[in-house]
Amino acid sequence: MGKAAQPALLQGTLDLLVLHALQRGAMHGYAIAQTIHLLSDEVLKVEEGSLYPALWRLELDGAISSKSGLSENNRKAKFYQITRHGQKLLAEQEATWVRLSAAVSRVLAG
Amino acid sequence: MHRQIEDELAFHREMAARHGNPIPLGNTAVLAEHGYALWRFNFLENLWRDLAYAARGLRRSPWLVLAALVSLGLGVGVNATMFSLGSEFLFSRPSVRDAASLVYVRIAGNSHSSHQVLEFLASSGLFADVAGENEEITANYNDGAETHPVSGVFTTKNYFTALGIPMLYGRGIAPDDPDEVAVLSYGFWSRQFNGDRTVVGRAINLDGRMCTVVGILPEHHRSLIGFGYSPEIYLPRYLDSTILAIYARLKPGMSIPAARAGAVTVAKRMDAQMPVAEFKYADDVRVSAIAGYERLRTESDLMTVAVFFGMLLAVTGLVLLIACVNVASLLLARASVRRREIAIRLAIGASRGRLLQQLLADSLLLALLGAALGLALAQVTAILLTRIHLPTPVPIRLQIEPDWRLAVYAAVLTTFSTLACGLLPAWQSMRESLAPSLHRENKMRLRRVLVAAQVAVSVIVLTTGLLFLRNLVHSSALSPGFDVRHTVFADVNLPPNGYSDAKRKAGYIDRTVGELAALPGIDSAAAARVVPFNGGTRFGSTLVFPDNGARTQAFFHWNAVTPQFFRAMDIPLLQGRTFSPTDRSEMVVIVNTEFVQRYLGHRQPLGTVFLWGREGKTPYRIIGVAAPTKTTTIGEDPQPQLYEPLAQIENDRQEIDFVLRSAIPPALQLEAVRRTLHRIEPMAGAQVATMSSSIGLAFLPSQVGALLMGSTGILGLLLASIGLYGVMAFSVARRTREIGVRVALGADRGHITRMVLKDSARVTLAGTAAGLLVAFLVTKPLAMFLVPGLKPTDPLNFAVVALAMLATGLAATWGPIRRALSIDPNSALRED
Repeated sequence: MGKAAQPALLQGTLDLLVLHALQRGAMHGYAIAQTIHLLSDEVLKVEEGSLYPALWRLELDGAISSKSGLSENNRKAKFYQITRHGQKLLAEQEATWVRLSAAVSRVLAG
Repeated sequence: MHRQIEDELAFHREMAARHGNPIPLGNTAVLAEHGYALWRFNFLENLWRDLAYAARGLRRSPWLVLAALVSLGLGVGVNATMFSLGSEFLFSRPSVRDAASLVYVRIAGNSHSSHQVLEFLASSGLFADVAGENEEITANYNDGAETHPVSGVFTTKNYFTALGIPMLYGRGIAPDDPDEVAVLSYGFWSRQFNGDRTVVGRAINLDGRMCTVVGILPEHHRSLIGFGYSPEIYLPRYLDSTILAIYARLKPGMSIPAARAGAVTVAKRMDAQMPVAEFKYADDVRVSAIAGYERLRTESDLMTVAVFFGMLLAVTGLVLLIACVNVASLLLARASVRRREIAIRLAIGASRGRLLQQLLADSLLLALLGAALGLALAQVTAILLTRIHLPTPVPIRLQIEPDWRLAVYAAVLTTFSTLACGLLPAWQSMRESLAPSLHRENKMRLRRVLVAAQVAVSVIVLTTGLLFLRNLVHSSALSPGFDVRHTVFADVNLPPNGYSDAKRKAGYIDRTVGELAALPGIDSAAAARVVPFNGGTRFGSTLVFPDNGARTQAFFHWNAVTPQFFRAMDIPLLQGRTFSPTDRSEMVVIVNTEFVQRYLGHRQPLGTVFLWGREGKTPYRIIGVAAPTKTTTIGEDPQPQLYEPLAQIENDRQEIDFVLRSAIPPALQLEAVRRTLHRIEPMAGAQVATMSSSIGLAFLPSQVGALLMGSTGILGLLLASIGLYGVMAFSVARRTREIGVRVALGADRGHITRMVLKDSARVTLAGTAAGLLVAFLVTKPLAMFLVPGLKPTDPLNFAVVALAMLATGLAATWGPIRRALSIDPNSALRED
């Protein structure tokens, strides 16, 4: 998926990150990748090869919607925003992630 | 779509490059491909997956599928049949080359014009081609043993080539053919010659002339005249007096208004070069399309038929609605079983839209299968219908073949059914999956409302059906105005050679009437140009009354008869007397009471003289007043009629009718009449029948109406009763525990029965009441299709329909009542 130094991300986790990023408002694809990159203290670098399939899949499933808009430098770009269904999905996936990571931590501690 | 994906990726690269993170080339194409595939196949893949899942689910409920398919199949089938019938009758495309460029031309408002007019028009060069035909021809075919009258068409010799009519064998009539050729229809050829191909090139005896058969028309040939009219033989016109309907082919790029303008100019030249005293050619020139909607608009009689078919389609649409509600109800029942599955789907993240799609897949699958079944049913029905022989004076055969119009209509029906069946259950399922406990009671109520709606619609459909059935009964009781039970009717077609002048015809008529009247058992015999329900001639003329100079525009039915006509037909002469040989000195007429009422004003009819005739100058004296008879259909309004003595007119037609009054049952006289006619003139084609069997045409509209609307009404009732049964059965099943408790507490059979009956009665009564109300409003405009004396808002209708509906409701509840009574309280209480 990326360079050797970057940790591998599960696909479901990427959806979680994308939805979370979109909570801050409508963004185009590059902005989403940048947001994730910055919020993770530059640990996670999402490549376009995994970002866009995830975005398209989320859109087809109705978790996010898209519309055309102007970027910061006045170029035409496709902006995504989260839908109500997406909000629900985000809440569920957050809960799942918390349970999962806690479980993994417990295993490693014992 | 592709552009969007590419633009998006390009934008990303540009931003990345700007920020100093160049992305290696090479994987864009793959990524883009991935994107396309995702989007493109998504819809189809989902649809296929949904249908497969729906199929698996439905397989577990075979009874539901059966009931749904039967309901939808019948609903769609009935709709498709009526649609095919209507579109074929009204919009059939004639079997000609490029029908859109052909037009029908009327000069001076005449449906048919003389051949001089046609040739003048052709030589003017206005149109690419001009051809003509007369479709009212009867030719006598002599097969060696007998002479049969055959219904045919006289055409100009360029008819087949100008119109481009495809042939099965041989060729059409060509412009350089002699007069003695003929083209046969497929039906006539297969009946008379058993499909023998060697007939082409052989000569057959028509009207005493040997005509060479040059070609056979295909089985599915549709004539230019339309409405299923299928003549049996085509001959080139050889008599100067034959009038022809003019058909022309427009030059490329010519529009119909332009053609009309050109035709008016030509007509003005006709008025200048070959004027006629009675009218001007340029007065009423019309050019119209020969098929399709255009034609319908310009002929007002057709509009009534079109409206009838429109109403029929509306009613069958209601029947389909009933069927769909049936299926919706069944699906609703099933939805409660799927509640948990839907709740899980929603929880793991399916969007509402997707879920709706999945739920609609159920009804889509049922609708598709039901439509397929319905179309198959319609095809079978169509084949059966085209075999029916209609009692019309000319042969009519409707050919119903499935075509793109039916396919589009079927697609519309399927979509409608899918939504009507599936939307409500799907929406209901989703709502209640989100808050289950609240909605269980609502669903039962919803189903009951649906059934009540079904009952209401069924009441409407039943009311229309009953109306048309009563119409048929009423019309059978109407008197046609003459005796039908003791009369024999003979239609004779004289061969043109030997009988072309009026004197010979008059001699034949006198001799025949005399010999027929002398037959044993015959009271009186007469000859006539027209017999009611078997043809008619209408006149619109200006009558001038010399006593006060008044001019009246009169429209009446005309006939020319021998003196014994009124006696033979048992038409009462209310005033004056019938014709006699002494009338030869002046022109006399007999009129009917309707004529007197409309056109004579305050005058005494007997002895009144009016001016009429070719120049409008010939005086005619009224010597008698007859009671009115029906002329075309049994349900028509009273028509004015005028009779002239047969001896007084210039008889220019080859066809003559004879009527005989018989003291013994008329069926026993037929053979004797046939032999007499054959003896007097063996070359004349004759058809002899009892009068009662000859007036079938009169009742045809009411019979057709009763058949179509009556069967639709019964179908609607059947479907509604199925729906009622389903809901009642479900209700009883749901209340099993409650019933068990009641029985355990001491309720007797009567109590349980009353309980279930009350339940069903509430639904049935509510539906019937609503339906009657709507039916009352909606059936008022149907009066135009009914015979006078039958009112659409007759309370008797509604009473009968209400009774029928309640009785059906009772019958449908019978099964569930028995089920309820057989509930064993022990097992019922143990059930959870």
